[in-house]
Amino acid sequence: MDYAIQLKALIRKELRQIFRDKELLFLLLFMPVMQITLYSFALSPEVEHLRLGVIDYSNSTTSRELVGNLVSNMVFDLKEAGANEDELANKVKGGKLEAGMIIPPELERHLKAGIATKIQIFLDGVDANTAGIAGGYVSQILGAFNNRLQTNSQKQNSSVEPKVTYLYNSGLESRWFFVPGVLALVLNLVSTLVSSAAVVREKDTGTLEQLLMTPVSSFQILAAKVIPLSAVLMVNVLISLLVAVVFYGVPFRGNFFLFMAVSFLAIIVGISIGIALAAYSANQRQSLLTSFFINLPVIQLSGALSPIESMPQFWQDLSCLDPLRYYVTCVKAIMLKGVGFQAIWPNVVILAIFAIVFLSLSSARFRKQLA
Amino acid sequence: MRKIFTQCKKELIQFRRDRLTVALAYFLPTLAIILYGFATRLEAKNIPVTVRNYDIGFYSREYIHTIFNNGQMVSVEWSGSKDTDPLDSGKARAVIIIPPDFSRSIRNAHSASVQVLVDATDVNNARVIKNSIIATSQYFLQSRAIEQNKNLIVPQVRLWFNPGRKESLSVAPGSIAVFLWIFPCLLSTLCISREKEQGTVLQLYASSITSFELMAGKALAYLLIGISQAIVLIGSSCILFQLSFVGNWLVFALATILFLASSVCFGLLGGSRTNSQSAAVQLVATTGFTTSLLLSGFLYPQRNILFPLSLLSNVLPARYYVEACRNFFVRGSGFLDQTYILLALGLAAILIFNGARKVMSKMQLSS
Repeated sequence: MDYAIQLKALIRKELRQIFRDKELLFLLLFMPVMQITLYSFALSPEVEHLRLGVIDYSNSTTSRELVGNLVSNMVFDLKEAGANEDELANKVKGGKLEAGMIIPPELERHLKAGIATKIQIFLDGVDANTAGIAGGYVSQILGAFNNRLQTNSQKQNSSVEPKVTYLYNSGLESRWFFVPGVLALVLNLVSTLVSSAAVVREKDTGTLEQLLMTPVSSFQILAAKVIPLSAVLMVNVLISLLVAVVFYGVPFRGNFFLFMAVSFLAIIVGISIGIALAAYSANQRQSLLTSFFINLPVIQLSGALSPIESMPQFWQDLSCLDPLRYYVTCVKAIMLKGVGFQAIWPNVVILAIFAIVFLSLSSARFRKQLA
Repeated sequence: MRKIFTQCKKELIQFRRDRLTVALAYFLPTLAIILYGFATRLEAKNIPVTVRNYDIGFYSREYIHTIFNNGQMVSVEWSGSKDTDPLDSGKARAVIIIPPDFSRSIRNAHSASVQVLVDATDVNNARVIKNSIIATSQYFLQSRAIEQNKNLIVPQVRLWFNPGRKESLSVAPGSIAVFLWIFPCLLSTLCISREKEQGTVLQLYASSITSFELMAGKALAYLLIGISQAIVLIGSSCILFQLSFVGNWLVFALATILFLASSVCFGLLGGSRTNSQSAAVQLVATTGFTTSLLLSGFLYPQRNILFPLSLLSNVLPARYYVEACRNFFVRGSGFLDQTYILLALGLAAILIFNGARKVMSKMQLSS
């Protein structure tokens, strides 16, 4: 009976401390809103409005039609190209154009004679990803243009038509990709920051020793830290989810309770990391700098912002040790794919193992310190 | 002038004394650039794809062979009961379904359709997968001489500056810019907030040094440290990512100094506005890190940023320095094309320095 009363009293103390700390509350409420907004507005992998300069030596109906085809679907915007190839090349070098096309004078003549004409197209390859996709578009557009040139004269041919269906995100909204990832990322950041602050503060001010003088056990002290924090962070998850679904229109297709259960595991992992950080560092500055040191790889390898399967093998292997990776996979699967437990259970199990191991390690470290 | 140099010397001595900070100042940026340069890949390679082949003919096997032949996609064993099962569990990013009449249609010169289901949760990769499958289908027809069409227009696409599309060439210069923004300003913000936390700033208020001299001295010291960080960071990324210097040295050196100056002054500004070291670090780290990472065009093109934030991105020094780095390491642009970068960075350094000086002078007792 005493045990429960003591625990209750400690939990009430922690809750009061959390709600008194305006900075912390601000972090809890404002961080998800700000981060989700920033990421969904700022990151967009669209390949659109590349600035294209054309030097058209042919100056014929076909060449103009060709240029029209390239610019009509917003992938390319036609811009001033200069008078000759040298000027065009300089503009690309100076970063004023991302693409250039040179149409040779013999285009029309060759077309009539049925000879193939080579058209030079160059793309600024500095942004390798954009250049790759833009190159794919160019060949598709020109392929369709070629087909149209031939339809009148040629006989029916065999062809393979891939009918591509985009599942889960048929409109290719890039926001839908980033928002679930950022939601997971913010939860990880906030839970480590908040829990390490809650422990380190007591260390800094020396109140931890006062707590030890009281009859409560070290387990109660720890439980009193973890329980209210996880409750507050669950509210934080709800706020993030609300922002994502209501403001940014990201669908939520899966099971809500599964989502909350997985989020709870992720919160436990985050809190454990935070407590370990605080237990190992002597003061607030050290724990802040170390958290920077740990969060950077955790976020980068989680697959929240860039796909894991395209990383080099070594980094892919390393990412298996990143608990956030499993949470990101779960959040994306539940929100966008709407799948149930049977599809993502390996991720959930691994996340649970991480939660148990991390919590016992960090609490062992914490209690050792108190002893 | 002498006061500025004395202040600068004092800061450098203090910096050298703190071994841990010195180690972190050079080790953290290098670690961060290794992490970003090697692990940030936007474009998928080795995309896991499964095929359900209902056709028993020759052409479907050839077609599957062509798809996996270019190394971009990796075959994954099909499992589950529904077509979408491998996508649901994340085992594959795409499912290709070949209908039973595939080979027959091709032999009879009809068009054969192939159904492709793509996991579009990652938008960028969904596009890459679609492009790749369409391109392979075209190649399949041409290489098997099934298609007699002769293309009348042959595009010869060349990628400039980065013909092999090595992503490290775009990610590494961008990361140099991002980390040269974050780490110098982190150090300078700690220096000023430490003086405030320990109360030594009161001694400075009481002395005859003006806020301009104080800030200039500190800025100069941390600018020198920043330059040494830049040399370490650029040197290590040249070795790690085989970057070479192809651009104009003068522009890049000037841009680097101006950029570091604005980073250091931003740190001083953050430090003089907050009252404790941890608050200063949080302010500078979160604002500096998120803005330079997200709004500088380091990951995705800067022109894709949506309207209200695109304005913010244009006043961000990191956005200009990312360009300067790419120009110097990859593009090789000339001096005249880059004057706008120098102007923007110079303006930023002056404005931020002035802001920091003003905040500091408000606290000082007027004589």
